Amino acid sequence: MKVGAERVGAIFATLVGAGYFYEAVTMPDVSIGDPLGPRWFPMLLGASMTLLGGSLALKAAGEEQGSFGLSSRSWGLVLLLGLYGYAIPMGGYPLCTFLFLAVGSGLLGERSWLRCLAISATMSALIFLLFTKVLDIPLPVGFLAFLGG
Amino acid sequence: MEGDTLGHLLYGLQIALSPINIFYAFLGCLVGTLIGVLPGIGPAGGMALLIPLTYGKEPASAIILLAGIYYGAMYGGSTTSILLNVPGEAASVVTTLDGYQMARKGLAGPALSIAAIGSFIAGTMGVLLLMLLGPPLARAALKFGPAETFALMVFGLSMVTSLAGKSLRRGLVSTLLGLMMATVGTDLPTGIIRFTFGIPKLMEGFDVVVVAIGLFAVSEILSCAEEMGKEGFKTAPLGRIWLSARDFIQSLGAIMRGAVLGFFIGVLPGAAHVTASFLSYTVEKRLSRNPERFGKGEIKGVAAPESANNSAACGALIPLLTLGLPASAVTAVLYGALLMVGVRPSPFLFQKHPDVAWGLIGSMYVGNIMLLILNLPLVGLWVRILRTPARWLFPVVLAVSFVGVYSVNNAPLDLLLATILGVLGYFMRKLDYPLAPVILGLVLGDLLEQALRQTLMISGGSILPLVKSPICLVLFALAGLVMVAPRFIYKKGVKLEIES
Repeated sequence: MKVGAERVGAIFATLVGAGYFYEAVTMPDVSIGDPLGPRWFPMLLGASMTLLGGSLALKAAGEEQGSFGLSSRSWGLVLLLGLYGYAIPMGGYPLCTFLFLAVGSGLLGERSWLRCLAISATMSALIFLLFTKVLDIPLPVGFLAFLGG
Repeated sequence: MEGDTLGHLLYGLQIALSPINIFYAFLGCLVGTLIGVLPGIGPAGGMALLIPLTYGKEPASAIILLAGIYYGAMYGGSTTSILLNVPGEAASVVTTLDGYQMARKGLAGPALSIAAIGSFIAGTMGVLLLMLLGPPLARAALKFGPAETFALMVFGLSMVTSLAGKSLRRGLVSTLLGLMMATVGTDLPTGIIRFTFGIPKLMEGFDVVVVAIGLFAVSEILSCAEEMGKEGFKTAPLGRIWLSARDFIQSLGAIMRGAVLGFFIGVLPGAAHVTASFLSYTVEKRLSRNPERFGKGEIKGVAAPESANNSAACGALIPLLTLGLPASAVTAVLYGALLMVGVRPSPFLFQKHPDVAWGLIGSMYVGNIMLLILNLPLVGLWVRILRTPARWLFPVVLAVSFVGVYSVNNAPLDLLLATILGVLGYFMRKLDYPLAPVILGLVLGDLLEQALRQTLMISGGSILPLVKSPICLVLFALAGLVMVAPRFIYKKGVKLEIES
């Protein structure tokens, strides 16, 4: 995916500012003894962001645009991260981390499947034990709960 | 605390140097360093998790153990910031700017060493200042009402905005983004839910650790994953392990300035150690003859913030020890722990419980030496992490970072949020929008808004308190100056390229 760089970034900032400003304006104005209330500070921020983004977009309009985009490898990693985050509560941390490490290292260039499986299994177990047993931080075990994790 | 300070200090050292308390200080530093190295938990969370370790112990021993965890975690946070661009907690964000660049140049060893030495010197100076200036500083800090706090936050934000990046407007966009993120969630004074778009999890707002890991760690790995596909991609070289005398001499001024600045900012309420590390970095950049080196692996860019955040840790103890007021999350946990062992922090703490107060101060000297002994030999070991092939290092860093993100609230949505912020951070890097002001905006946003609203509530809607207070006037003038000054410097031909 290629993106027309400077201008798109500035337009994005403008849209974020405008959307935020609109949300702030439409917020209920409850201000018991509070002259500003919950709306005014966000309105100020939204307006400033819109103006700044707009000025950057205008400035970029007269300049030559670069272009760039995430590579398919990086998009693959983003997708993998999203799936990993989504699956952890159900699949549990150890299993999901094992799969994440195996697929992630494969995506980044590991070609030996044996090494992939061995390192992923060792690292996921080590990280899990470090957090749950040494630091006593609970992590989800998912359907592996029957193992008593 | 007046009177025979030296005698009191010797009494404190006597308590701290008892074999059992040396052991507790060591244990605290060790566990604290581990907590600091692992992203997500942070000093306050780590201390809260480990409070059960203090059950059944003498009050002085319990507090020495917790204080060890506190400054161990403050130091440990720098390790992953330098090696992997993963800030363990908010105060370490600024260390990533130059620390990680040093690591990429094969100078991870000197960066880690200067962080350890800077933390030691600043920590020791902080303890000295705590002993000598504690009571008068606590009284001065009480003069900071909401108006002065607001002015201080404006000053802090303007410093970082003006120097972090090639363009002031882009810096401002980043700062505004952070401030906007800070408004997400429940507005505490009115109970109104803001900008959550019906997502219940967002009612608590954005957690700074989730945002820092997403913006810095995930986006860095996405950038590197892209570079891996290109010709000539190399992982960071191992390079030099030890700090040279020249490096140390170069950094000494930055360490001293960071220590003093960090200590005085640490006394003030709010996110003091974060503000201290950001401000000390920008001060060094401002004073430098070569500001263009910052963000590209300048050793002073590591020494100053690391010194400042350790010294701020000492400063933050002043309101707690002299007034009985916890002014930060970490000191609030210490406050709770003191209550649990039967000690109520108050202005009479030094009279009623000298063993706890002076034992803690004594243990801080011992703890600082212990941290140095513990961490310098480990520098070589940490640096070897960089030898791990990138195809393994990146997924493992992400997996560990995600435990950090998950452990903050046990919320799967945070993992998704960190991923989205990682993509946002990637595009911000590419478009030259600095990332550091987003974090500072997020950390200070709530304080800034509440301070402004409190000021206006007290004055019945008048902004006069903001312009009548001499402290406010000075801070606003300084804020204006730092925003305008870089433009003049730029016009004189000094190119300010600061953002990493």
